[in-house]
Amino acid sequence: MKFYLLFTLFIAGAAQAAESGTTVKKDSVRSAPFSDAKIITTLPAATRVEILKKDGGWYQIKSAQGSGWIRMLSLRRGDVKAVTGPISGLAGLASGRAGTGKIIATTGIRGLNEEELKAAHYDEKQIALLESSTSSRAEAQKYAAKAKLKAQQMDYLAEPGVSK
Amino acid sequence: MNKLTAKIFVIAALALLLQTAQAFDFGQELRNAARELQKPGGSANLGGYSEAEEVAIGQQIAGNLLGAAPLVQDKKLQKYVNNVGRWVATQSERPDLVWHFGVIDSSDINAFAAPGGYIFVTRGLYKLLNDEAELAGVLAHEIGHVISKHHLKILQQGKMLDLGSKLLGKQVGDDKISKLIGSGAEIVSRSLDKGAEFEADRIGVVLAARAGYDAYGLPGILQEIGHSATDDSSVALLFKTHPHPDDRLAKLGEAMDSRFDGLNGQTAAKRLYKIK
Repeated sequence: MKFYLLFTLFIAGAAQAAESGTTVKKDSVRSAPFSDAKIITTLPAATRVEILKKDGGWYQIKSAQGSGWIRMLSLRRGDVKAVTGPISGLAGLASGRAGTGKIIATTGIRGLNEEELKAAHYDEKQIALLESSTSSRAEAQKYAAKAKLKAQQMDYLAEPGVSK
Repeated sequence: MNKLTAKIFVIAALALLLQTAQAFDFGQELRNAARELQKPGGSANLGGYSEAEEVAIGQQIAGNLLGAAPLVQDKKLQKYVNNVGRWVATQSERPDLVWHFGVIDSSDINAFAAPGGYIFVTRGLYKLLNDEAELAGVLAHEIGHVISKHHLKILQQGKMLDLGSKLLGKQVGDDKISKLIGSGAEIVSRSLDKGAEFEADRIGVVLAARAGYDAYGLPGILQEIGHSATDDSSVALLFKTHPHPDDRLAKLGEAMDSRFDGLNGQTAAKRLYKIK
């Protein structure tokens, strides 16, 4: 019980301290996640902010200079280490494996290093298994339609600074 | 000279002529092949391999990789990534290639592509995903490597498959190709040049957007990985073989700019299959 309480406090504390970020370039903070929304303030590069949520290519942030929405790619998330611990703890809890201390032993999770890759031998059964899950084009299209995903046209992006 | 000797002489001469002709053809073919491979962007068209050869090469490499890290034993999960992946691949120049996707059992954070449409995500990376758009973005980056034939190019340049084998490949079956590839799957983790990674990122966001997803899925997961500690062993291989996520995000920021505004792609967050 004591442990459980401690665990809960740990998660709550981490969630609060969770998302801080830093601007990597000068950009405007807007009233809504749209490029034509009203500009609230402009933050210089290297400004510390608090990230509240994400919406498409935008983060909702709080900063000393003002709060609003800023382009996701103008920010880098920071203070990671504070989050990774509790998050994996939470995931462990959800999967019912927290506290057993045997995650590695029971699921056989392991890393993949170059040596292992070099030494790897062809596994025919695994290839058969892989192929048994293959989706046809039509099947995938049906599945996409279920989530109302609509295909749209878009050109590939030019390499920055190459052809302008 | 009697008739028999004359006959033997003619046969010998013919045989000699035939041999020279063959040798000439071989040399010519070798030169043609070399010229083809030296062309800039020569890998954009089939790069010297037929599709069947490319798939045979990819299957061998995929089988080797699976020998190191098998598929996560979850049929629904595997079907799910195939449905998502194939839909994204359908938006590429190779919609009818038989694409294969899999989640492999490794706590490492990584994703791999092999020629011919074989794509893998590790369980470690899958667990970081927040929504289906991020999965689509990761798979789209790998699809980008396949359609740009980045790994196939390395194989061609390397000793594993030289020009000679290309010529042999015309006359021999797939089994010979697998013998040429042999064991090992280090090709999937070979460092491509940085340009190839940035290119795959740019292709990735576009394919995801074409498929109707929020194009910021790939940048989103890169943000997530980017602040993973660099000394963490789970990202060691990824960080060794790819530019740092922050550099990739900076390049994507420049390339994407405001081009994806107003697309309203979906995150399909509710549908993300929860891994056990």
